[in-house]
Amino acid sequence: MQRYAINILLCAAALVLVVIAHAEMLDKYVLNIIMLIGINCIFAASLNLVNGYMGEFSCGHGGFMCVGAYAGSLLSVAFFADSKLFGAALFAPQLAPFLFPLVLLGAVLVAALAGLLVALPSFKTRDDYLAIITIAANYIIISLIENIDAIGGPRGFSGMKKTVNAMSDLVDLPWMLMWTLLGVLACVMVIRRLMSSTYGKGVSAVCQNEVATEMMGINTNRVKIMAFMVSSGLGGLAGVLYAHVYGYVNAQSFSLLKSTEGLVMVYLGGMGSISGVLMAAVVFTLLIELLRFIIPWFNGTFHDTIIPWLNDVLHKLNLLSADDRLHTDYQLDQIWTWVIIPLMLILLMRFRSEGFLGNRELTHVFPRLKHWVTLK
Amino acid sequence: MLRVTNLKAAYGKIEALHGISFYVEKGEIVTLIGANGAGKSSTLKALMRLRPPESPVVTGGNITFDGVSILGMPAHRIVSDIRMTLVPEGRHIFGNLTVMENLQLASWSRKGEDTDKEIRHIFELFPRLAERARQRSDTLSGGEQQMLAVGRALMTKCSVLLLDEPSMGLAPLIMYDMFRTLKRLNAEGLTVIVVEQNAHLALQVADRGYVLDTGEIIAEGSAEELLHKPEIKAAYLGG
Repeated sequence: MQRYAINILLCAAALVLVVIAHAEMLDKYVLNIIMLIGINCIFAASLNLVNGYMGEFSCGHGGFMCVGAYAGSLLSVAFFADSKLFGAALFAPQLAPFLFPLVLLGAVLVAALAGLLVALPSFKTRDDYLAIITIAANYIIISLIENIDAIGGPRGFSGMKKTVNAMSDLVDLPWMLMWTLLGVLACVMVIRRLMSSTYGKGVSAVCQNEVATEMMGINTNRVKIMAFMVSSGLGGLAGVLYAHVYGYVNAQSFSLLKSTEGLVMVYLGGMGSISGVLMAAVVFTLLIELLRFIIPWFNGTFHDTIIPWLNDVLHKLNLLSADDRLHTDYQLDQIWTWVIIPLMLILLMRFRSEGFLGNRELTHVFPRLKHWVTLK
Repeated sequence: MLRVTNLKAAYGKIEALHGISFYVEKGEIVTLIGANGAGKSSTLKALMRLRPPESPVVTGGNITFDGVSILGMPAHRIVSDIRMTLVPEGRHIFGNLTVMENLQLASWSRKGEDTDKEIRHIFELFPRLAERARQRSDTLSGGEQQMLAVGRALMTKCSVLLLDEPSMGLAPLIMYDMFRTLKRLNAEGLTVIVVEQNAHLALQVADRGYVLDTGEIIAEGSAEELLHKPEIKAAYLGG
């Protein structure tokens, strides 16, 4: 029982969160952030399987999230909404809460199949060359989806809110929060189970040395296919949840910038450490959101406090004549988020390249935790 | 048992093996000796059907095991079905796994079988590994890592063991120990093909040997004969 204490605690926390959200004690914006944290946890943890555990450098994980988002959205609309594309809904909207797992599963399977786009070339290509292939795969997926007019092309695709509303209409619950929390749990469990299995040891072995792995009689191609497909499938899960949380998808949301966000979270947390990557996903998402407030606050402080103070100092030092004043019309805006975040990445790589935890888990850093937690 | 006929192999357009032929009978220790770049390691890699770019592509000839060609087989099936495996040059142990996990991983091709007996046998052959069973293998010394590499290969239940430069970077005492263990394994029925720069040591334990030079076999014979051939002595055994 004690070994499951933290798991029980986390489940209880999730339940409390759902209850609080249900009682509408949470601001919608905060609720959205919590769901985005969950989605980023799945996205980063799935990327960590390839980049962290298997030691390959996948730079196009956003592409698989995109496939999952679109596949899930199409299924969702076909199942529960009347649409021009699919005609009448296949199922009554009342079935949405029960059949939504099928939407998730469908998205995961299609994204896993898309993973073959990278898995097959990985048989004979690795390192930097494979990284280029993953970037190309990301581009191919985005361009392909953007050029299919039937699913909205560059305008994006919407209609998933009908599914979410159908679920809420039947039973008034924060459904997407629940699915997101379940998704995180499922993702962590799948990765933990996989990595503690013989296959998982095979993944670690491929990371260390592919030749030696084959000399153990391990079919490295099979290990790679499995790792890439599980990783892209879980990336797809993040995508389908994202699509339903926002009710709208656009292929451009999953461009290389999205893939880079995934890389930042993996490297921030520590490659090959699932607890580290989950922590990083939380910190990273919160940081981006906090910057939304910090930048305007700093902008205000800069204009109202720092500039007048500087003027005072310069006047007192007689470096500026009494009539002259320093002034600027420059306004710091949100674009600075994408200066500050990459800058942090540079500093991280310079001063702590192993990220939060390196390839260790939280239970290695705090061994006492082992008595309280088992994620298997 | 293992027969190589007119084997040609190339790295891209550069041919590394120009049609070599040799055979290995069951229960023998055969050594391939030669200078750097003679094609010894390439021969082992070609035998194991390893993939480029690390290993050459076979462009001609044949490799048969008990009369059946193994040219179309992928490396992992040569390990699991033919029961032949390679201890690569530089050991390549899985540093982030413990000694025990390294050994367990090697029994992958025999999932479900009880491997305790083999692990005990390996610990008996290399007692140092037993002492360090729960230790991460990248913390082992060079000699211990080589023991682990051989132990790990044995865990595949191989009947033919290929070793690429097993003495590399080892202290003389440990090197002799390693070859003594190989001799013991051979007495237990293991067929061994060993590629070695230290030709003197290799010929002392081997039954037969082949001398390679720039991708061709230039001499062959029993280890005894090769040890006493004046031209071999002059070129490879330090006179």
